[in-house]
Amino acid sequence: MTDTSVLNVRDLRAHYVLSAFGINRSVSAVDTVSFSIGRNEIYGLAGESSSGKTTLIRTIAGAIRPPLRILSGTIEFDFAGKRIAMQAATQNDLAAIRWKHLSYVMQGSMSVLNPVRRVRHSFVDFAHRHIGGTIPDFLNTVRAHIERLDLAPRVLNSYPHELSGGMRQRVAIALATICRPDFIIADEPTTALDVVVQKSVLAMIRSVQREIGSSMLFVTHDLSVHANLTDRLGIMYAGRIVEEAPTAELFRNPLHPYTRHLVASLPRIGVVPPVTTDLAGRPPSLADPPSGCRFHPRCPLAMPICADQPPSLRTVANGHRVACFAVGGAA
Amino acid sequence: MHRTILDLLRTNHAFTAGVVLLAIVIVIALLSFVSPYPPNDAYVVPPDVPPCWAYPLGTNSRGQDVFWQLSVGIRNTLAFGITVAAISRCLALAIGMTAGYAGGMIDRVLMSVNDTFIVIPLFPILVLFYFVMRDRMSWALLALVMACLGWAYDARLIRSVALSLRTREFTETAIFSGMTMPQVLLREHLPFVLPIVFSTTMNNINWSIGMEVTLSVLGFTDINTPTIGVMLYWANQHTAMVAGIWWWIAAPVALVVITFLGLFLLAVSMNEFIDPRSRLNRVRG
Repeated sequence: MTDTSVLNVRDLRAHYVLSAFGINRSVSAVDTVSFSIGRNEIYGLAGESSSGKTTLIRTIAGAIRPPLRILSGTIEFDFAGKRIAMQAATQNDLAAIRWKHLSYVMQGSMSVLNPVRRVRHSFVDFAHRHIGGTIPDFLNTVRAHIERLDLAPRVLNSYPHELSGGMRQRVAIALATICRPDFIIADEPTTALDVVVQKSVLAMIRSVQREIGSSMLFVTHDLSVHANLTDRLGIMYAGRIVEEAPTAELFRNPLHPYTRHLVASLPRIGVVPPVTTDLAGRPPSLADPPSGCRFHPRCPLAMPICADQPPSLRTVANGHRVACFAVGGAA
Repeated sequence: MHRTILDLLRTNHAFTAGVVLLAIVIVIALLSFVSPYPPNDAYVVPPDVPPCWAYPLGTNSRGQDVFWQLSVGIRNTLAFGITVAAISRCLALAIGMTAGYAGGMIDRVLMSVNDTFIVIPLFPILVLFYFVMRDRMSWALLALVMACLGWAYDARLIRSVALSLRTREFTETAIFSGMTMPQVLLREHLPFVLPIVFSTTMNNINWSIGMEVTLSVLGFTDINTPTIGVMLYWANQHTAMVAGIWWWIAAPVALVVITFLGLFLLAVSMNEFIDPRSRLNRVRG
């Protein structure tokens, strides 16, 4: 929440509100989430499937379509003095910032490119409107940009199916960064790649991010990717951020019982894995989440208070926040 | 483009055969512009002459040269088929893509109209139209009516494709980048839908020619515009079968069969021309 933060999310609640035949159902995919992302920072968001990661970033990107609805909370961007509150932004406001200031590498970004159009056309369709100028000038910019990303300019004349997975991924990232945005949202951009290609794509993301000086919100369930890339890491469980810390600190000293199990499940070189007990049960249904702390039915440290009221994120050390009654003293 | 067509001609025999057959038909149709006789004039040549050097397809009982009649007839018939297909394709594309993309209430309204057109029995409606319009029933009006009746199947087909395209990542990206609905439909979705439209266009031309011939043979169209169907109508009126003037019936029937075959072969091979993925498989395979 400092002055240098680019994105401030406060108490965000976004639910899927469904109504059919007079019965209302609401899926609380994102519930009282607060965090901020600073300039030049790569913020990682981890969590298992259906923990609300994608919903959260869709909300942040303003790509909201019914039945998804923001119930309360604020999302504020600050692009070098240009402030915008996403929860109240009109279509015109969004059009003005998208791509130029805020870009989004979608989930399954392997298929961001239209398979029946040449890559060049996808660039023109998606990004030209945000840069302006003549088409040949624009294509020269694109050519220079993808050369920086170790791609041959001839990929522009290819169809997506003629490119390998790694190349397509690079093209998708080139497409998202062509306008040198202040903020990049990346939803599982490396999930479909093997580890070798993944490593080079991650290095590329890092170098692009450094070069254009943008902030990044990076989402994946793959903790090793987070360990490689991100500066800070937030762990989501059942629609809430349960713990947030600088990445190295979080791996060294996880506090929340869920994070502890998560980190303990990772294999480490040279360490014979201790026999840990598995967490019983499964993540809760977000249509009917448990009361209080959403982790309490599975938590080994559960106390009576956990079922009564949800714990808030409290700072326990420098930059380390955790939402748990059992950690760092009583609330 | 040029290369692709050459590749197709070399590797795809169905395409080659279709092109050759259609080329024959089109040359015959184009010859009508140099026809020595006005198409509706009767008794310009001796009647009932069998095919010979002077009259390659013979002459009919109305004293017309069958070849030149055929040439004008196939020109009008082709033009009819293409007009119907063009109008109905525009309707099918606009309605199918909008319904699939917009979804919700718009989809429901458009598809209920669409389903109404699917279940309407076409032939009785067209006959009814003729009896209502009578002498005002012109070639252009018939084409318009057929186009308005012939779009529904393809609109459903296109909608089904649009439904799946709407949920693809590149559509989401297009929307996120600020493209409006018409831009997304025209630039991102239309290239997907075109292969389907191209092959259904050929089928639609076939369907409308068949329909036109059927109606004309029965006399339910404007019989003063010479088409293939109208030729057969006059042959029947003069009992050509009984009188043994077989060339008067055989020539138009053979030409229509050639047209159907040509269009059908083009329809099945067109996908490889339009869809880059199947084209590559074919050319490099």
